[in-house]
Amino acid sequence: MPLQLDVFLLILRLLFIILLYLFLMQVVITIRSDLKKTAAVSADEFKAAPVLGHLVVVDSGPSSLLPGTRFDLEPKTTIGRAPTSTIRLTDNFISSAHTSIENRHGTWYVRDIGSMYGTYVNNLPAREALPARPGDIVKIGFISFKLAQ
Amino acid sequence: MAKRTPLSTIKKYRWQELGLFIIPFIILLIAMTQLLLARSVRAGLVPTSSLSTKKLPTIEGLIPVLGIITIFFCINVLLSFTFPRADQILLPLVGLLSGIGVLMALRIGPNLVPASPSLGTRQLIWVVVGLVTFLITLFALRRIEWLKNTYYLWAILGIFMVGITLAHSLRANLNSPTHDQLNIGPLNLQPSELLKIFLVVFFAAYLSKNIDEFAGDDFRIGSLRLPFLPPAKILVTLLIMLGLALVLFLGIRELGLALLVYGIFLCMMYLGSGSIRYAVSGLVFFIILGFIGYALFGYVRARFDVLGFDIVNWQNWSAADQYFAENGGVQIVQGLIALSSGGIIGAGIGLGHPTFVPVVQSDMIFTALGEELGLAGLFAILGIYLFIIYRGYRIAMETTDTFSKLLASGLTSIFAIQTIIIIAGNMKILPLTGIPLPFLSYGGSSIIANYIIIGILLRISHNTAMERAGLA
Repeated sequence: MPLQLDVFLLILRLLFIILLYLFLMQVVITIRSDLKKTAAVSADEFKAAPVLGHLVVVDSGPSSLLPGTRFDLEPKTTIGRAPTSTIRLTDNFISSAHTSIENRHGTWYVRDIGSMYGTYVNNLPAREALPARPGDIVKIGFISFKLAQ
Repeated sequence: MAKRTPLSTIKKYRWQELGLFIIPFIILLIAMTQLLLARSVRAGLVPTSSLSTKKLPTIEGLIPVLGIITIFFCINVLLSFTFPRADQILLPLVGLLSGIGVLMALRIGPNLVPASPSLGTRQLIWVVVGLVTFLITLFALRRIEWLKNTYYLWAILGIFMVGITLAHSLRANLNSPTHDQLNIGPLNLQPSELLKIFLVVFFAAYLSKNIDEFAGDDFRIGSLRLPFLPPAKILVTLLIMLGLALVLFLGIRELGLALLVYGIFLCMMYLGSGSIRYAVSGLVFFIILGFIGYALFGYVRARFDVLGFDIVNWQNWSAADQYFAENGGVQIVQGLIALSSGGIIGAGIGLGHPTFVPVVQSDMIFTALGEELGLAGLFAILGIYLFIIYRGYRIAMETTDTFSKLLASGLTSIFAIQTIIIIAGNMKILPLTGIPLPFLSYGGSSIIANYIIIGILLRISHNTAMERAGLA
């Protein structure tokens, strides 16, 4: 029996829609493998840059931070209110770019980067980079932190 | 640069992209065959009783689709040699949408009143021109910072575009639905299409230069703190943008353009400041002003009239309802009838009656797709849009540079906002606007602008990949 034309058109129509969804599935599969690859890459990056130290809140001052909150320090950490900061603190007495904490050869250096209310290491103003050891008190604005391993 | 041996070229070839192109190519060929068969059935040339190979369409009919396939294949080969690391998923998605757009133009053209049989060919030419601008953007944008450093130029161009639109539409009849158009010789330009790109480039540059202030403190009057208002600098920008949106909306009655411009602005604000409160308060402010406009001005109310119109209850229409359905609301009413007659799998390309809907080739293309591809086809098309948007945001997430991040996410937001506004307009959720559906609507400026966006996105993804590989 010859194939009816309207049946043929129906088959084409169904094929069209099935292929559309197959295409979407292929895109999903490609995206999934892509995500797996990037996940593996970022896991490697995480291993390469271990957390070298912490800042622990000792006195939260006027902010809403809870004493005992820990922040991870990276080899080059910036603290401020800007969203580009490594540690973002949204307190009114924190400037957008407030403090930078850098690890050079195993020692932490704390430096104020143009804040309004200042940065202090053991109550010394850190206008230049000041070295800090674990246990030292770092005051950023009106919030006091203890440097910890 | 790594050495170009044949082996490394094969390894770096964009296989993923080529693989993703296969199904779209088959889809386009099938759809074109179906369209040609349906056309001969409509014309009564072929009896529907039986099918033989003699009645199958000749190969010449497939030329437009074969042309599209060849162009995209050539671009795949070209990019493999020049930009092997750029994103490989965007182009197949965009290519399928453009292909369907050309097919629909081919399909609708001859049935339009007045008929324009060359509609499909013109759409095909626009796609080719769009792809050429895409390649030019990709190659010319060597350093993306160039856009950042010339940001005032883009602002001035943007204002110029708004000025042109304003001047033109104040001169033209304000009641015509498509006054966001500029006729220069034979060309029908839509300035808003380029305006949206300029706006995003300007905002991305402006925000990335002032990012600290934008992430700053809430607005204060003395010691009084208003947590829902951003700092003074943003507030001023916000008010200027709000003013621009209102001028577009109330002044020249372009609700769609106003929504697009303001929506882009709110997205960029949110992306730049990372604070959802400002975006929400900006939106609430706009809605309140919109309501005041609605209460004060009659023509604003007229735009919203159709939203409250009850179509399902057509058997009990009063004479006034009947009049409205045949005049003011004819586009939406016919569009909804077309959508509903499509059902789940649609009538099939070439077998519906999409041209009952006025301006179906550009504003109402979504209803034509709904009628001929059905709900299943519409969901698939929405899925393609979702993937394009996902890929755009993904490219933005992967870059490290603030400007590129804002630029990529802002440009992607354009697609998202535009698609929402026009589809919601077609489906009687928002007032209908003259904004084109990206890649599917007929229209040169829209296609070119959208391909420029894709070009910028691919360039950013290429830069990121090069930086990551340590080659930049």
